[in-house]
Amino acid sequence: MKNTPGWQAIEQWLAAKELKPFTFQEEAWEHYLQGHSGLVNAPTGFGKTFSLFLGVVIRWMNEEPAYRSKTHNGLQLLWVTPLRALAKDIGRAMEEALHELHIPWKVGIRSGDTTTAVREQQKKQMPEILIITPESIHILLSQKEYASRFAGLHTVVVDEWHELIGSKRGVMVELGLSRLRGLNKGLQTWGISATIGNLEEALDVLMGFGGQQKAIVRADVHKAIDVQCILPDEIEKYPWAGHLGIRLLPKALSVILESNTTLLFTNTRSQSEIWYQQILKACPELAGAIALHHGSIDAELRIWVEEALHTGTLKLVVCTSSLDLGVDFRPVDTVIQVGSPKGVARFLQRAGRSGHRPDAVSKIWFLPTHSLELVEAAALKDAMAANMIESRMPVILAYDVLLQYLMTLGVSDGFNADEIWNEVKGTFCFRDLMPDEWQWILSFLTTGGEALYSYDEFHKLHKVGDHYHCVSRQQAMRHRLHIGTIVSDAMLKVRFMTGGYVGVIEEYFISRLTAGDSFSLGGQNLEFVMIKDMTVLVRKSKSKKSIVPSWNGGRMPLSANLGKMLRRKFHEAMAGTAQEEEILILQPLFDLQQLLSHIPKEDELLMEQIETQDGYHLFVYPFEGRLVHEVMAALLAWRISQRHPITFSIAMNDYGFELLSDQPIPVDDTNAQEYFSLENLNIDLQSSVNSTEMARRKFRDIAVIAGLVFQGFPGKAKANRHLQSSASLLFNVFNDYDSQNILLRQAFNEAFFYQMEEARLRESMDRIYHNKIVITFPQRLTPFCFPIKVDSLREQLTSEKLEDRIKKMTLFTYE
Amino acid sequence: MSLEDTTFQFKGQHWRLSAGRAIYWEEENALIVADLHVGKSAHFRKAGIAVPANIVQEDLYRLQQLITKYHPKQILIVGDMFHSSANNEVQYFKIWRQQFPHITFELIEGNHDILESSVYDDLQINLHQVLSLRNFYFVHDAEDKPSVLEGHYLISGHIHPGIRMIGAGRQSLRLPCFYFGMEGAVLPAFSGFTGLYSLHPEPDSAVFVIAEKKIFRI
Repeated sequence: MKNTPGWQAIEQWLAAKELKPFTFQEEAWEHYLQGHSGLVNAPTGFGKTFSLFLGVVIRWMNEEPAYRSKTHNGLQLLWVTPLRALAKDIGRAMEEALHELHIPWKVGIRSGDTTTAVREQQKKQMPEILIITPESIHILLSQKEYASRFAGLHTVVVDEWHELIGSKRGVMVELGLSRLRGLNKGLQTWGISATIGNLEEALDVLMGFGGQQKAIVRADVHKAIDVQCILPDEIEKYPWAGHLGIRLLPKALSVILESNTTLLFTNTRSQSEIWYQQILKACPELAGAIALHHGSIDAELRIWVEEALHTGTLKLVVCTSSLDLGVDFRPVDTVIQVGSPKGVARFLQRAGRSGHRPDAVSKIWFLPTHSLELVEAAALKDAMAANMIESRMPVILAYDVLLQYLMTLGVSDGFNADEIWNEVKGTFCFRDLMPDEWQWILSFLTTGGEALYSYDEFHKLHKVGDHYHCVSRQQAMRHRLHIGTIVSDAMLKVRFMTGGYVGVIEEYFISRLTAGDSFSLGGQNLEFVMIKDMTVLVRKSKSKKSIVPSWNGGRMPLSANLGKMLRRKFHEAMAGTAQEEEILILQPLFDLQQLLSHIPKEDELLMEQIETQDGYHLFVYPFEGRLVHEVMAALLAWRISQRHPITFSIAMNDYGFELLSDQPIPVDDTNAQEYFSLENLNIDLQSSVNSTEMARRKFRDIAVIAGLVFQGFPGKAKANRHLQSSASLLFNVFNDYDSQNILLRQAFNEAFFYQMEEARLRESMDRIYHNKIVITFPQRLTPFCFPIKVDSLREQLTSEKLEDRIKKMTLFTYE
Repeated sequence: MSLEDTTFQFKGQHWRLSAGRAIYWEEENALIVADLHVGKSAHFRKAGIAVPANIVQEDLYRLQQLITKYHPKQILIVGDMFHSSANNEVQYFKIWRQQFPHITFELIEGNHDILESSVYDDLQINLHQVLSLRNFYFVHDAEDKPSVLEGHYLISGHIHPGIRMIGAGRQSLRLPCFYFGMEGAVLPAFSGFTGLYSLHPEPDSAVFVIAEKKIFRI
């Protein structure tokens, strides 16, 4: 292999730069040249792109003696990236290498940002390498005669596969690959992934069940990470609940000032807005050297921030997960994480944004937003030491994505049902798809799910023999604009009256403002003037007070790994065996908990019954993480409600959950244990999840992806007023009139099975069932319960008659 | 269980408010409904959005039950009777309509009512921009009221009104309602394929919420 002319040329080219290939790169090239598929496991910044790109180049040089002059070769390599912003940098690196190697290949980019002119050009002549997003693959598949564009394609590389695998975008990749493999049986597929707990599975998901030879190539690089905690001086005065952490700003500021360039990560966009403003207030001389970066900020501004990070002209960037991924920012030497990162992998990823040279140490500071979060810091450190990296569970049986995909094929050349059934069954996501589900899906697309009858005028796909295709140009156009699985709230552009674009904001937020109100976006105080043509018009505000928009979806659940470690740390802390300073400092808080209530031992489950003016609270602390608690709380509420009519509002966090009612909750020593019994667990779970809003919330995305709800298009008013409806309304309608709909079942599955594996819940329930249950009746709120009680995001579950509930209620009015 | 109603004496008239989302006005022998949106699911389905096709049957069946119960001589539809352009559900309505040849249908035009006037003739529906009966002024959208009401009380639809109720233990509920304010009343949307808009009642208003088949004044 190493004697081939291509390999030699690459070695010489690298040697001229005084470089030589990493071992894992050579290993990947060898596998690739032998025709294998596989997965390269390497972190960013260690030459992962070259481990595959150069393999393709070597093969070309080996097979094509005239490689220096041969142009217009058609598409050879499809490079899939989750992030548009990454495409440009990768393309640049590839072009540079090709230029130096005298290979006249073209590198193209295809994403939502690609201009129409470039798209047309690509239609006429595909570049040899196309860098593309998962959505854009499907856009190409939605065009007439798409097969000819992929005629010469022999290799697909999916970059940052770990980012895609756990989401429906990953399913789009799986389906896209299944079609490309259908066009070319010999297609080689490679993934690039950071370390995750289930690499082997990640490989299987990418490969599907095509039977190709496959390998995992690991880059053995270890990154040194230094984790520090920013500790409050007086724990007694640090808040018991909260998510901002602003009180520790002075301490964060001194870290920032001592560093070269700092990234300060917050978990939500609103948090980042607040931190940005507070830092400027506390340290005005930072103006000009500090920037804000999150998903609602104008793309151009974000690009500017990213470039300024490259050149090192910024001292600090306050950001959200929008900077989790991406190119290297070499000047960054410090990262501050505000609040729990909720997972080991995310914490490591963020830590890795600093000290980006292979030998440098990544430095990250953890800033707790409330006192108990310090336990999480200790848990994180231990989990990192034990290398407990989370798995990314692949999405299975995403009927909504399948519906979208079939429509995509329908609007291009149409499809043959048998052929596509075989391809779809060959994917990991749909390996368990049943023939009757497939028939249901086909009929949903052809007859709208109903048996044909005279009044129906349903039109989507037409069936001729075994061939399905779309004949409506209007529907085809609308579908192409809707391809994708990223569902966002309706967003409106924000613009100054005098012109100038600020960013985007959720319609939901702006609809609650009246003219003259001030709000902040992108670090600026803005006065709301009016909404015109889907644009929010604003002017600069002189008001000192402004509302910070709250963006939905900022709440990440704690991962199972971190949850396990957290439980251990709590038990250590409570047993007094902990050594970490983060935990020792919490001692006064634990003392108070013991005084007011109890500190549970490892084989105990603590329940607190507390009465306040809000009503009767039952707090339960399994320390199993938010996801388990959500399901467990609904289950407990359901079981209690079966004894007699009662209504609960339910809240939870990573430590425990709360059932709140307007009447005393009948749980005591005599019956508590039975509520955790494994008997009838499945039936009770189904009923409890169905009687909360969990499935309804999941349905929202499903309805959009399956094409039932029209999202506004950026800059365009909704296409057809008479076709507007909300996912919530559709959920009601399906529930009332078509309860067998497969999409409803998907919503239930996502609410329950995606949240957690059933096995994990059984295990926890069983553990609790055999634990000693300690019930206390504290006179006031305890340090444990406080963060849960203040949470306003609540589920409801009731077994009371609607009329009985109404009789106890009053009209809601704004004060 | 049948649909409950409650009699509300107001402005010297007797109004029977039904949990079936309609009012029976005794003095005028009139059944009043708003926002039927006949043809809505068909319109969606025609565009390739597979919402259930049987919604209109359920809606019209409920209207039929109300007609059988109250025996009105006229039906006042306060706008948005039809959702969009003509489709097969409109044909379905035509056949349904033939059961009640002696009842007149008075439609006060709403923003969704865009059919050709000949279609309404064919369906035996009388069309009105606004309608004035006794001291009552019917208009689809209360925003389109005349500048001077001259002692008339408005009755409208359009917004699909609902209200939010709260209770101890941080409970809350959102329910469709009839709303009687100072200047006018608003009817709940009749069709099952409609959402809710949360009202904030003014003082001294009367609000009746619909809880499945029951109705309550709150």
